[in-house]
Formats: sequence, structure tokens, C-alpha cells
Amino acid sequence: MKMDKKIEQALTGLLQKYDVKADRGLNLMPGWNFIGKELLDSDVPLLCWRHNRKFIELKNLVSNNVIEHVCMLRFCSFGSKEQSSLESLIYKELDLCEFLGQGKVISMHSVISDGLAGNIIVKLDNGIIGSVEVGAQVPEGSPYTDRHEIIARRGVASDLSVDTQVPQSSVYTYTTEGKHSYKDVDNELFGFDENSISQIRAAFDVQKNPGQVEELRSQHSHLSLLVKTAIKSNLKQQKIEVK
Amino acid sequence: MKPVKIAILSLTHGHTRKYFQTLANNPSLEWVAVSAESEKVRDIFLKNNYNVPCYMSDAEMFDKHPEIEAVVMASANYKHIEQFRECARRGIHILSMKIPTFNMEEYSEMIKLVKDSGIVCQVELEMHYNPVIGRIKKIIADKKLGKINSFNATNITLSPVWAFPWQGVPEESYGSRVALSPGNKRFRGGSLCDHPHVFDMIRWLTGSDFDYIYAEVGPNIRTDIEVEDIILVNGKMKNGVSFLFDPSWSRLEERLEVPGPGWEVYPKRMEVNINISGEKGIMMSDCFGPNVYHNGVPNDRYTVQYTYFDEWIGLVDEFVHCIRNHDTPKINLKWHRKTIEAMNACYESVSTGQPVFFK
Repeated sequence: MKMDKKIEQALTGLLQKYDVKADRGLNLMPGWNFIGKELLDSDVPLLCWRHNRKFIELKNLVSNNVIEHVCMLRFCSFGSKEQSSLESLIYKELDLCEFLGQGKVISMHSVISDGLAGNIIVKLDNGIIGSVEVGAQVPEGSPYTDRHEIIARRGVASDLSVDTQVPQSSVYTYTTEGKHSYKDVDNELFGFDENSISQIRAAFDVQKNPGQVEELRSQHSHLSLLVKTAIKSNLKQQKIEVK
Repeated sequence: MKPVKIAILSLTHGHTRKYFQTLANNPSLEWVAVSAESEKVRDIFLKNNYNVPCYMSDAEMFDKHPEIEAVVMASANYKHIEQFRECARRGIHILSMKIPTFNMEEYSEMIKLVKDSGIVCQVELEMHYNPVIGRIKKIIADKKLGKINSFNATNITLSPVWAFPWQGVPEESYGSRVALSPGNKRFRGGSLCDHPHVFDMIRWLTGSDFDYIYAEVGPNIRTDIEVEDIILVNGKMKNGVSFLFDPSWSRLEERLEVPGPGWEVYPKRMEVNINISGEKGIMMSDCFGPNVYHNGVPNDRYTVQYTYFDEWIGLVDEFVHCIRNHDTPKINLKWHRKTIEAMNACYESVSTGQPVFFK
């Protein structure tokens, strides 16, 4: 498992621009790539989505108390089998529960069908509850779709605007070539899709602040346990405490 | 590359805050000092704790810091000509705000000052470093839309006049007190002066210049300001593209003295949306969207929380590149002149009630 060449080139460009000395020996890949594998010393499981601007701003809304006393999270994430396994979607969404909910998952009850789609109810150690709807049944070629809503005693925050069901794009074209949409979110990394940008930014951040490597490896172990717990809860038809 | 030693002048422009983080973080810059135009703006600046010395006059700052190589000219429009003269005299490079001046004699003098002194002058039109504009440019270059027929752009915001009062003073914003039309009690200097981007973008994206332009001012939303806040513009480019612009202050605001959370009354405080119609189809775009949304503190109102505002990174990168490599910025005074002439023509059209034709 190696970093895509174009992503690596873009990362090198950023490192050079900002004069960051890189440890070229690190294997910087999205954390879900390492599910079920033993980590090598060089492996750094990245929590790329935490570097996506929409999640940075949602987190700011919570941590700056723009919305006060969060009570519930409502997340959903649909990908295609070709792009995402169910485990990878669970891994990412449960990390977002902890990142945006600012707590640790302590229990969950999960229902999964055919290993392709499921619904999970989680509880965090700060009392917040959350629902996570995941599915890997989007047809190939259709866009990845997600929603993150944070409900508080004062205010609701969301990455979907009111009265919409799917994420919006920045540009839509309706031409003789058909309908296309584009979402460009980073001028320094123009041309890359949102997920690649998040990976480049996450890898850059590790090179800039290498002190976080141990924390990333530890969170990966924790998230791997959460994924296993989700599968176990479905099999046992029980709520399971996370220890 | 040796970092450029840079300062900010005046601190009274609405975009000033955008530069703080860029100047503090960009390794190609060394932020040396700032000058404040009043004790009020000085105190606001000092609250940011950037640990950069703040002086009460440009001259004092320049005298104490002869190492300053470049400035961000973050001042009211009417101050620019004096500051241009001083910077040119001292050989200091200029990152000018989006309106260097509306006075075309002053504009010519600025071009001459820059040419004679050999300094770099870049005009701050940050949309050129917006990734959605990058995408639109690519769509046009790839001929996805074919020949362009029509271009519609909004540059709609709230009004900044309560936080940046000079933007509501005709002499300080437009440069002189000129009635919008004979007998009109309002004056040039309002929302049109705040929104050059759409006039610039159509030139940049279509590669053409204005043929004729017409503008109509509506009744003000804010009846207690003396400059226009509602205005529509249409016309044609020399290549036949018809256009419609909305550069209004059509989003209401809380009258805050310092911009911050809760400034907006309408959920989205600023938009630049561009629609293009061409022989192969249409394109619709939102240069500042999508974002995230909330109805929290301070007013429990539905609010857009922007997720992208990094245009200043690319803009400053180009400025530094031009200084160190003796290059000319793509948005230089000569390029921008036709944009300012078009905006002046809008006021002329409002006054005469007829379109204004360009030679």
C-alpha cells in the first residue's frame, strides 16, 4: 500500500513551499487502509477527514460554543463498493463522532445487513448519543454522499443546508456533454478531489508536526476496536460496551 | 528565498483582517510593523496579540523601520494617492486595495509613479486565487460551453459602513461628493465602489473589454446612509457577450463597529455567483460555497459558516514572486484601469439614465 504518485508530488510541493523537513520513511495513508493489519513502525494511519474544511468548521462551531451543549449527532455516509468498504465508512464516521462530539465512544448497538449497509447508535463518554447510517451500495460512478448534523440545546450545525438532501457542489454545468458538477476547495491543491486534498493536508500536517504520530497510531487502534465492536454487536444482537 | 519585509498601512480597510494570518504564517514574508490611522483601529489591532509594533503614522513607521520593502495599503480609497507617492519615493512595493482610486488623473499618476520608481504594484483582486474561479476558467478554456453568449454575476454583501465608516462617506470612498443624478440626495461611493470583482472577472474570463454599460440605482434598503446600496448593471462586451451584474449591499447586517459573529442578518453575508450561457450549454457557480450552517450563538439565526477564505495565500505568493523576480503581477494598475473606467461609467449611466459607450 503506497501513496498515489500525484498525491506524493503535491505533498512534496507543499513541503518545499513551506520549508518543512520531511521524514521520507513514513507510510502516510488513510487510517482505514490499516484495518485488520499489524502496524509497521513506519505506518502512520491518517485521520484525513479531520483536515477537510467542512469538518474543521463544524468542530470549531462546537469547540467555540457557537452551538451550546451538544446532545445528539446524526451522521450518514454512502459510498460505492469500489471506493469504500463498510468497515472503512464505519471507521471514518465513528472517528468523526469522537472528533465533532469531543468524547470517546463507550457503547454501541449496531445492525448490519449483508455486510453492505447498516445503522449504528453510539453513546459517548460525555453523554452525547449519535446515529451513524452507512452503506457501500452506491453504484460505481455515482458520487459519495454524506451528511453530518450536530444537535445542541442551543443551535443545530450541519454540512447540508436546510431543505437539501445531498451535498452541494460549487459549479454545475448542463451542456451537450451532459450534466457535470465540480467542487474545488483548495487553491494550493487545485485539481485534486476533496478526499485527496484531505490526505495531502493530513500528511503535510504530520510532517510539520511529527509529535502526533503516536496519537494517530493509538486512535487507529481504538477505531479498529470500534469497527470490530460494531460487527460484533450486530452478530450478537446486543448493545456492547467498549472497553 | 529571502523573506520580504512587509508592513500594513492604516488598518482601516475591510480586508485588513484577512492579511493578519497570511503575514504571520507565510514563511516568504517577515511582518515588520503596522501603522494605524486612529487610536480606535490601533486598539482593535493590538487585541489580536500579533506582537508586531504599531505606529500612529506611516512616516514614523517608515523612519523607524528602513528595512520595510513592501506594504499592504489597507486604507480608505481617498488616502491611496498620498501613500502611493510616499511609497514610490521610498522605493517600497505596494499591494494596493481593490480600488486604487476612482479619479483617473490620480490613476495615471499612480501608473507613472510605479513605472518611474521601479516598484512592484499589485492590485488586490483576490478572486483570481479562488479555486472555483480556477475551475470556471478551465471549463471555458476547455470549451465546454462553446462560444459564450451571456454572463451573469453577483457580488452581493452586507454593508460594511458601520465597521468601516469611510465606505459610507462619498469623499473617502469615491474621492469626491458627486450626486448620483441631478437632484438626487444620495452620492457616489456606496456598494458599487465596494464590488469591482465582477467587472474584473468578466474581462478576465471572456478576454474582452466593455462595449457599453448601463446602470440603474434602486431605493436604498438603508435609508440613513448617503451612498447607494442597491444597484444593477447590464451591457455588452466588445465580443458580443451580454452581461448582468448585481454589486449591491442587499444583505442586511447588525450595525457592529467590529466585524464578528452575528454580523449578518441574512444567513450568507457575501456571495459571488457566476452564471454563463454558451452555445453548448450553461454553467452555474457559487465561488464561496458550499459551506457549513448553524443557528447558534450569538443571535440563534440560521447562518452560513464559510469553509474557504484562502485567496490571500495565492495573492501574496504572487506579490512575493514579483518582488523577488522583478516581475509584473497579472493584476497590475494598467490591467485594472479598464475595470475602474467601467465602474465610473456605471455612475455616469445612473446620472444620465442612458448606457455609456466605450471607444
